[in-house]
Amino acid sequence: MVMPDIADRRRTTVVIALCAGVAVLSLVSLGVGPVKLSPLAVLDALFGGGSEVQRIIVQEIRLPRAILGLAIGGILGLSGAALQGLLRNPLASPSLFGAPQSAAFGAVLVIATGLADVRSYALPGAAVVAAFASVFVLLMVAGRNAGLLLLILAGLAISSLAGAATSLAMNLSSNPFAALEIAFWLLGSLEDRSFQHVMLAMPFIVVGAAILLSQRHAFRALSLGEETAQSLGVNVGRLRLLVILGVALGVGGAVAVAGAIGFIGLVAPHLMRPLIGYDPSRLLVPSALTGAALLLAADIAVRIIPSTSDIKVGVLTSIIGVPFFLYLIVRERRALGGGVA
Amino acid sequence: MPLSKRKCERIYGGFAVFVLAFTFGISAHVQAADLPRVASINLCTDQLLMKLADPVQILGLSPYSRDKVRSWAATEARKYRRLSGEAEDVLILKPDIVVAGRYTKRATRELLKRQGQRVVEFDIAKSIDDVKGQLRKMGALVQHPDRAEAEVARLDAAIARARQAVARKPYRVLAVSRRGWVSGDDSVTSALLSIAGLSNAASGLAGIRHGGFAKLETIVALRPDFILVSDGSNVAEDEGRALLLHPALERLYPPSRRIVIPEDLTVCGGPMLPDALDRLVAELKRIGD
Repeated sequence: MVMPDIADRRRTTVVIALCAGVAVLSLVSLGVGPVKLSPLAVLDALFGGGSEVQRIIVQEIRLPRAILGLAIGGILGLSGAALQGLLRNPLASPSLFGAPQSAAFGAVLVIATGLADVRSYALPGAAVVAAFASVFVLLMVAGRNAGLLLLILAGLAISSLAGAATSLAMNLSSNPFAALEIAFWLLGSLEDRSFQHVMLAMPFIVVGAAILLSQRHAFRALSLGEETAQSLGVNVGRLRLLVILGVALGVGGAVAVAGAIGFIGLVAPHLMRPLIGYDPSRLLVPSALTGAALLLAADIAVRIIPSTSDIKVGVLTSIIGVPFFLYLIVRERRALGGGVA
Repeated sequence: MPLSKRKCERIYGGFAVFVLAFTFGISAHVQAADLPRVASINLCTDQLLMKLADPVQILGLSPYSRDKVRSWAATEARKYRRLSGEAEDVLILKPDIVVAGRYTKRATRELLKRQGQRVVEFDIAKSIDDVKGQLRKMGALVQHPDRAEAEVARLDAAIARARQAVARKPYRVLAVSRRGWVSGDDSVTSALLSIAGLSNAASGLAGIRHGGFAKLETIVALRPDFILVSDGSNVAEDEGRALLLHPALERLYPPSRRIVIPEDLTVCGGPMLPDALDRLVAELKRIGD
């Protein structure tokens, strides 16, 4: 057992290092793109110098993209850590529960029915409602003390259903470009986003993050077991509802502007556990920072990898995330096998 | 009363058609029996077919033929059967000829050919000469070459009009559609621009000959004088369309820097091109060239 003050010092070091990493990645994100700009030109344009074209490229095309990468990666990492804390389950995460896919369905439904412009608040609104419904249904189906297997199976069912419903809604709409639109919603992309998108997603992400962070002490009590937590004054039912709400707000806001980006929420807390320890309340902030760093890095990579058509950022996060998920399953094999028996 | 007046007109109109049909009906009927009956499974062949064939020759049109945004003759298309675009309903209709695009519905075309159906494919028109060639090809297919020649003449007249109203300066124009698709040098849109004395800014982009996707940054850095878009409204019905309303583009290209030509005039190269040219000339006047 690490002594508390040593653990605190280590956590502070990790958080500072992560902040520095995220800052560097944000700057790199401003520096890469199809138009080659030198780092100096980028900094100059960021603070109002350079030519008009350079200013537009840096301030209106790359800056919103970097902000969204940071915020969306952060809320996904935070959501993953919160769900893993709530369920005391290392395989919990928004994407394995089908939350982003459901949020995408909510957003696509608004578009397909032609009810609203894609830049209106109806989009994140519908995405939040759908994400809330999916996580709520999942926890209902899986029950109170759900085993790993139950959660994973129920999550698989919900995410498959939501993915299929998203495609169907787009196909049934009169939009002849459905195939391309489906790819955007199911794979996720931060390409050519604008400050309109930032304004659309941010309120939801900020409120969601605030709700999740406000519950951090309850997570610590919960890690001692549900009865113990209740005896310590934690209202577990209320906590569950608040976590679902926080995750739904964050994921819904994120998906409404960037599509379903998966696996950040699963991977981020796991990367932090060996460094920070297993206390879920202390994992939240480092997981959010790790999530932000992961998504920023993935979004930089999709711009650097040479390809004839654009690579969706969700493809990259899945390519990294799914092998990691398999590794986790192998590690948890005994628990999963026990669930079957 | 306006309502009854309209009703009267409809009755008289119907009567006139009836009389005409009665007078010429018998001979037309005999003729129509000999003319090939055609089904179309492509939006662009729909347009050629409706313009050049007799109504009785048209057995059915593609699913998008009634799309008000993309189909030039969408209203007229309602008079005809709307096909699924798949092989089944075409086989049931047993047309003499099926007209299709060369790059779409490959499996459907192959299946129809295997069933002994005569399938005639139309390439994507890339120049004015291509368009004239397609008008004549369809004219020959439906055995109305005279109508095709009339359409070619109409196109030539529109070209002559546009050449007279040529732009003051050879402005660089970039034709941008959804998701940043730009029309390259090798396209009808590019040909229309050059007739009006404009140049296609996509010439400066590597790897875009016929057309291709350009990133927003690339478009901004290219800095064309005008952009040509298909919709002047401020509504984004999906993410692909939202790109054209990105603040970066809105700032550099307010309505006074956007040439708007509706999609149904540019999506195909066909009998709508004279209208497209007239529209382009009108737009040049609007933006104060």
